[in-house]
Amino acid sequence: MALHDLLLALPITFATLWTILLIVVEATAKRAQLTFSLTSVGFLILITMMLFPSEQGYAFGEMLRLSPYSQFANFVFALSGLLVITLSQSYLAKENIHFGEYYIIVFIATLGMMLMASAAHMVVLFIGLEIMSIALYVLAGIMRKDLRANEAAMKYFLLGAFSSGFFLYGISLIYGATGEMTLFKIGIYLQENSATSLFWIGLSLMMVGFLFKISAVPFHQWTPDVYEGSPTPSTALMSTASKAAAFTALITVVLNVSSQTENNSNWIFALSTIAVLTMVVGNIAALSQDNLKRMLAFSSIAHAGYMLVGIVAGSDAGYSAVLYYALVYSLMNIGAFGVIALIEQQRELTSASDYAGLFKEKPLLAGVMALFMLSLTGIPPFGGFIGKYKLFAAAVESGLSWLAVVGVLASAVSAYYYLRVVVFMFMREPQAENQFEGVVLNPTLVLIALLVFLLGIFPTGMLRFAGEAMKFAFNM
Amino acid sequence: MHIELNHYLWLSAFMFTVGVIGVLVRRNAIVIFMCVELMLNAVNLSFVAFSHFLSDIQGQMMVFFVMTVAAAEAAVGLAIVISLFRNRQTVNIDEINLLKG
Amino acid sequence: MTLTLITFLPLIAALITLLIPKEQKQTIRLVSLLAAVGQVILAVVIWQNYNPSLAGVDDVSKFQFVERAAWFSVELGGYTVSADYLMGIDGLSVTMVILTAIVALVGVGASWTIEKSVKSYFVLYNLMSMSMMGCFLALDFFLFYIFWEVTLIPMYFLIGIWGGKNREYAAIKFFIYTLVGSVLMLLAIIALYASVIDPETGRNTFSMVAMANQQNFISGSALAPSEGNLLRALAFFALFLAFVIKVPMVPFHTWLPDAHVEAPTPISVVLAGVLLKLGGYGLLRINFPIFPEVFQQFAWWIALFGVISIVYGAFCAIAQTDFKKMVAYSSVSHMGFVLLGIAAVNSLGMSGAMLQMFSHGLLSPMMFLLVGVIYERAHTREMDKFGGLAKHMPVYAGFIMLAFMGNLGMPALSGFVAEAFVFLGAFAVEQTRLLSVIGTLGILLSAAYLLRAYKAMFTGERKPNAAYEVEGHHGEEHAHFHDWKGKVDLDGREIALLAPLAAIVIIIGVYPAPVLDLIMPSLNRVAEILSAAANVAMK
Repeated sequence: MALHDLLLALPITFATLWTILLIVVEATAKRAQLTFSLTSVGFLILITMMLFPSEQGYAFGEMLRLSPYSQFANFVFALSGLLVITLSQSYLAKENIHFGEYYIIVFIATLGMMLMASAAHMVVLFIGLEIMSIALYVLAGIMRKDLRANEAAMKYFLLGAFSSGFFLYGISLIYGATGEMTLFKIGIYLQENSATSLFWIGLSLMMVGFLFKISAVPFHQWTPDVYEGSPTPSTALMSTASKAAAFTALITVVLNVSSQTENNSNWIFALSTIAVLTMVVGNIAALSQDNLKRMLAFSSIAHAGYMLVGIVAGSDAGYSAVLYYALVYSLMNIGAFGVIALIEQQRELTSASDYAGLFKEKPLLAGVMALFMLSLTGIPPFGGFIGKYKLFAAAVESGLSWLAVVGVLASAVSAYYYLRVVVFMFMREPQAENQFEGVVLNPTLVLIALLVFLLGIFPTGMLRFAGEAMKFAFNM
Repeated sequence: MHIELNHYLWLSAFMFTVGVIGVLVRRNAIVIFMCVELMLNAVNLSFVAFSHFLSDIQGQMMVFFVMTVAAAEAAVGLAIVISLFRNRQTVNIDEINLLKG
Repeated sequence: MTLTLITFLPLIAALITLLIPKEQKQTIRLVSLLAAVGQVILAVVIWQNYNPSLAGVDDVSKFQFVERAAWFSVELGGYTVSADYLMGIDGLSVTMVILTAIVALVGVGASWTIEKSVKSYFVLYNLMSMSMMGCFLALDFFLFYIFWEVTLIPMYFLIGIWGGKNREYAAIKFFIYTLVGSVLMLLAIIALYASVIDPETGRNTFSMVAMANQQNFISGSALAPSEGNLLRALAFFALFLAFVIKVPMVPFHTWLPDAHVEAPTPISVVLAGVLLKLGGYGLLRINFPIFPEVFQQFAWWIALFGVISIVYGAFCAIAQTDFKKMVAYSSVSHMGFVLLGIAAVNSLGMSGAMLQMFSHGLLSPMMFLLVGVIYERAHTREMDKFGGLAKHMPVYAGFIMLAFMGNLGMPALSGFVAEAFVFLGAFAVEQTRLLSVIGTLGILLSAAYLLRAYKAMFTGERKPNAAYEVEGHHGEEHAHFHDWKGKVDLDGREIALLAPLAAIVIIIGVYPAPVLDLIMPSLNRVAEILSAAANVAMK
């Protein structure tokens, strides 16, 4: 029985064992390069595992649920993890923080995310969230000598722990209201009984925890500071995979309480208000940012708003759109932060105007960055467009056309600040001669760009993957 | 007086609120962290109370996990605070304002 | 395969260009030239094999050269999203395809003098050329949207990198204006997809052809044609706005003069020659057949804005001292005729609009090429800095005369036929009669500004020292009128670019029948759809 469980939960079993292996290797060999290679291998194995159909079902006494849904999510996490560590290497070396631990912690964070996506029980949900968060606190503060990184880690830690408190209190009250902690049993209870106010308070508190993690307005204030101060590759992971994990967990929860939230006008009103605020505030605030990392921080808030639209839509189309968007968004944002990390290694260039003339000196790098910016704007033929299309189409299908209108207009606003970067890179003369000399293009970036492009032109495979994931989630 | 579930819940809610207010008004990072711990323990109280009155073991099981997680969190959190203190000689979050916003 | 080939030939050229080292500028240019020539050859093949008797519009079986393949199709818990790679030609698109091929070729020729980052330039140019062609050929709305948006990106870079002094501002303004239009279009597309069923498969579809038939709307869906469906009007205006920003219609025209003034000559040529036509084409292909009854309701208003564009654009042109800006505003004015012609809601007016698109698509590239010639030589476009050019540049003056005459609608040139049809069409309908009379004012005004420009620049005495007062737009390379002696007139390349355009302008002016034969059956079909909707509305 136990063996069967271990096999059923193979990705998680594997990731756990691999973590232990990594720790042992790092502790004995103390060679960052080796740890890096092994971590990459671990990620590659995970990604390969996700591409093959596997057995579905509950493992460990209904603690974990393995399904195409968790498979898709795990694919996104492992891919993001792999891309982030390949982009980190030279950055870490440059900043003198090239420790093997870094890679292990990224791997552990990914393990936490995988637990979140596979959770069938509140305990696992909580543990997964905390494993991810604690790992990310460390990643934020890994530059121990850097004052800004210290500050970012501190803010991230305090607010993260604070939000965990809400999340946990929510779990507790839902437990009290339904007498259950297994998600599907909560679902069954709610189908048979009407929800008490205790349940609603619990759900709201839990939502506060989630909204903190995805940095939705009004729980977003920490985001720009933390993203700006943290080492750029860590920011890349924080802004993408950890958000994707929070969204997958959010979907799991919402699916199981859907008997109460579906057609509940209060719920839809509250969530769509937050979605609108998040899209509007994120985009408007991003307009006035000069620091590129802060700009991307606000833009990531806005993107969380777009994804919330899919959640509000509340249909399988909406959820699968969120999954698809999580993938595309992770790719393009990791790409954008990857470019910033590359440039930062050379010189401390932070504002968009510092990128003036990049095209002249490094045309391919500038081209790749432009592709990410355009895809983030949501312009075809890039992946970001298909993702946004799916999200807004789901909203229209669910009779929330006005929400789609707001979203589309907000993303039109975003064109301005994304294009500003492109303007500087392509249309301005460089401030000094050869200031980008020595910036070596990381082939990973080209690969990401290619993926973003392909996801825009031939989205079928991935969309189907996301669709399958949702089908299963619904039938369960 | 007979002690009911509600009494525990009110106490837990009160402790949680104290924790939240503490986080919002205190300026010392260590104290803020202690307030967060207070929040977690308030939740633990409610878990145990629910568990007892529902005659269900899951709530108490959860408490152990929460305590473990809180310990891990404390380890990482204090490490962050220490490295900050080494560099800045302060743990007052009002003075830690390099990042605008 | 023909349509795929004609669309993606420039893409192949772009990919090949990427492999050529950037020092080999001449090779890069030749590759693009070959692709453009290939497109023209294919366009001729299409034209020769095109059967004008088939109408198309709302019937896939009456489209020609149809290519269809499933592009992506995903089932998501009971509801499927699928888009097709559906391409085809009918009377609405065939002239535009030919026009695009011609203008793209002329554009490559005009790009010959570009020396800055030649490789990147031609890659982007070819991408733009591909997406323009794709727009006219796509029959699947999703595919159309992709092409439509893809025109935006290369254009943005082409203006922003190779443009003049204010290029950033112009590029971003162009981008934002068009983007606002296209996000609105996206919303309409989403709603249309949810409301329309392909009769062949019984599933939701992006096919514009299926959308043009009101029978295919799901009854009870958001955009179902029913009495007083407000959503239909909203969707109509979302699409309408997207297209008229591109046309451009006053008051959404302000991006155009900026874009033109800053864009390099070949980009102005393509912008005026083809991209503006996308707006008019979109109205005819998509907006009106899909929402005929809304269009009927607002036809008068559309005509009104068309006339406002004609008159306002002409007045603005009169006020300009910059030659290129004047030509840009004259574009606004002339594209107003397209709106007026369509809004007449009869096949006469619409054929005028189509002809005007075709004719303007030839004349405006000519104008911008000619502006480019003078700018290249004098580094200024201020009209009052010139004088007596007819004496020094007789060939140039001849082409200018032809382009001006074509533009102001002189008989025996294409502009006359087009504008005459527009006026006849609009005059024939009672509700637009008055407007068409006001519209004729546009012709008078255009005569005023064009002749004034001609008089200022080409007659009288040369002003040899004037150019020194002008600040050079290129920094170090200041204006030198001295260098003009002997080699001022058009060279062989320039004549080779202008002459074919001029020839077509004259041929169509004298004998417009070949073009009319191509477009009439389809326009009649559009008119039928529109009048059928009008009859329903009256009942």
